[in-house]
Amino acid sequence: MIARRAMLRLGLAGSAALLAGCSPKNAEKRTDRIRLWVAPNEAEEGFWKIAVARWNALGRGLPVSFTTIPTAGSSEDTVLSALVSGNEPDLCTNVFSGFAVQLAALGQVENLAAMPGYGALIARRHMAEITPGWTQDGKVSALPIYSSPTLIWWRADLLEAHGFTAPPRTYEDVYAFCERYGRARSRYGMQVAAGRSWADRWFDFISFYYAASGGQPYLEGARALYDNAAGRQAAGFMNHMFRKGWTALDFDAEEPLVSGLAAGGVRGPWDVERFARIYPETLARIEVGPMIARTAASPGPGATFSDSKGVVIFKSSKVGRQAFDFLAWVLGEEDLNLLWLQRTGLSPARGDLLDNPHFAGYYRTSPIGRAYAAHVSNARPPALSEYTIDIQKIMTGRLVEPLMTGQKSPEEALAQAVAQTDQMLKVQM
Amino acid sequence: MNRRRRLSRESWIGLSLALSYMVFTAIFWVYPFFWLARLSVTQWRFFDEPIFTGTRNLVMTLQDPQFLQSLLNVLRFLVMYVPIAFGGALVVAFGLQHVGRGKAFVALCFLLSNVSSGVALSLVFTKIFSSTGPLNALLFDWLGIRIPWTTHPTLAMLAIALVVAWKFVGYYGLILYSGLLTIPKDIYDAARLDHASPLTRLARITLPLLNAQLMMVLVFAILVSFGLFTEPFLITGGGPGDSTMPPQMMIYETAFRRLQPSHAAMMSILVSVASYALIVIARRLFERKVTLA
Repeated sequence: MIARRAMLRLGLAGSAALLAGCSPKNAEKRTDRIRLWVAPNEAEEGFWKIAVARWNALGRGLPVSFTTIPTAGSSEDTVLSALVSGNEPDLCTNVFSGFAVQLAALGQVENLAAMPGYGALIARRHMAEITPGWTQDGKVSALPIYSSPTLIWWRADLLEAHGFTAPPRTYEDVYAFCERYGRARSRYGMQVAAGRSWADRWFDFISFYYAASGGQPYLEGARALYDNAAGRQAAGFMNHMFRKGWTALDFDAEEPLVSGLAAGGVRGPWDVERFARIYPETLARIEVGPMIARTAASPGPGATFSDSKGVVIFKSSKVGRQAFDFLAWVLGEEDLNLLWLQRTGLSPARGDLLDNPHFAGYYRTSPIGRAYAAHVSNARPPALSEYTIDIQKIMTGRLVEPLMTGQKSPEEALAQAVAQTDQMLKVQM
Repeated sequence: MNRRRRLSRESWIGLSLALSYMVFTAIFWVYPFFWLARLSVTQWRFFDEPIFTGTRNLVMTLQDPQFLQSLLNVLRFLVMYVPIAFGGALVVAFGLQHVGRGKAFVALCFLLSNVSSGVALSLVFTKIFSSTGPLNALLFDWLGIRIPWTTHPTLAMLAIALVVAWKFVGYYGLILYSGLLTIPKDIYDAARLDHASPLTRLARITLPLLNAQLMMVLVFAILVSFGLFTEPFLITGGGPGDSTMPPQMMIYETAFRRLQPSHAAMMSILVSVASYALIVIARRLFERKVTLA
């Protein structure tokens, strides 16, 4: 009898606990502190721990408490779930520009350009050349914390062994190297296609397109623009590499730069930490070259793609202004920018990285970091569109994959991809 | 009187125990089901109030070539998966019949692939099927060819069918093996006396008497094909050209990437209807009532 009663109580308690777990939507927001979510990785978490502790010690505004984005999958899913259930924080980092535009279209994030002190922050952080890529109709939904340009890593020892003293800068340079290095279906000059996912287009066609066009956009409103001279150059290059067998359809089996399966490939600054941890010997042999184009950019660094992540302030926040004050302080403090650089190896999104004496010491000891820093001003983020996934899925299915398999000429593939993108955008918008 | 009170108490306990399941079902099944039905006829983007739009989502979904392609992909997958899975499962079942000692251990080994993480499996097979992976390296060394396992529309689907079949063959094999155990030996002895060849015995005795288990495996295979997500998501990303995009991936991307949950809700209802219809058709076509006279 006692056992039965215990079971009943247990059942009722379980049901009550289950129901209690369903918290009410739009829980009352706190006004006594700023809640911040940061990217779930050790390096960034370490930075925010110090930055938040300093802010709280200074007592310049509301105290900040932070946690990593509580995600097992993608940050976007977690942020959406939090917004729907009303558990979102005041500030959230790790937001890519396309997702920020989606959130803005849904009316969930503040226009940061309208915040008091925005102009001063942009001037203090030397972001004038960077923010246009994050501005849509005069509104800034997310402010970039860091900018990670894509560049090409080359195995310096393999280049040298084949008569190259510097990384290739033009398509012709790459062809000349592949001619010497490539071996039919067993050794390739360069990794060209980054993968099959829609997001991989940032690291192949879009990077090549920006380099060929000098950073011109590939999308404007509801119109795709890449069926132009720059698009034909970039697609022509990819097509030539596949037809000649100088690149493989994929390099999923291994990191090709380690074994020399490919001597070059598009990589970002986040790979530095990965290589340092897993392939330190290979990293020592890497030389970073610019994003290739038909003609080398001169003078100075050429354009390329920037994989940046920004920070948003949610509209539901009752401490939006105070949150922006905290944000302006973190992003504007040069000491904290240096700390970010040291902790994460990712270049802060500011245009004076190589001119500012604050960062000189770091870049003296990090030639790869210096190469990336030099490209921050010329690196362009993805097109600001709610339909990033569809746009890049079409780019994958109608442009890159036909070029990989040789089903279509670059001109045909470009025309088809652009026409389908325009049609899709016309229906959606 | 005493008896009635005892019954009443038992009923109360039974009801209470059933209640916990009913509460669970109400929260995690009934509520989402009605919410899904409501969403499918409204326009909702996570934060606003749903606006009734009637058949708009239905028309939009039926005119969406990507969604129709994903349904077609289920059939393409089944065409490749069913023969591989049935063939493999029969081999496992017949093999188990000939295992002497350690039968339980062998059966458990077959189940290991079934309980392995789909994510881990997919990552391993991505490397195996890579154009520069070990399988292609072997083929290149022996025959001088490389097979574009993940970049050719048909081969990519075949690669996924092979991975999923590898995962489920042991499980299906055990189901068929349980069926084989129920077939009386006398029937085979009688057939042998009538000089029936092994092939005849397989076609006239074993397979007809295994109909119930074969149908069960077929229904499971259809359910697997409509529930496919992890393998294509990780191995091919739905490509090339959406040729391996399954409906579940389409629903996920529509709801959480394109932020169109109403459209995704209608898709999920249509996918449920399609899977139910396919199972009904399969049962009508292949299910037989088998009785041993």
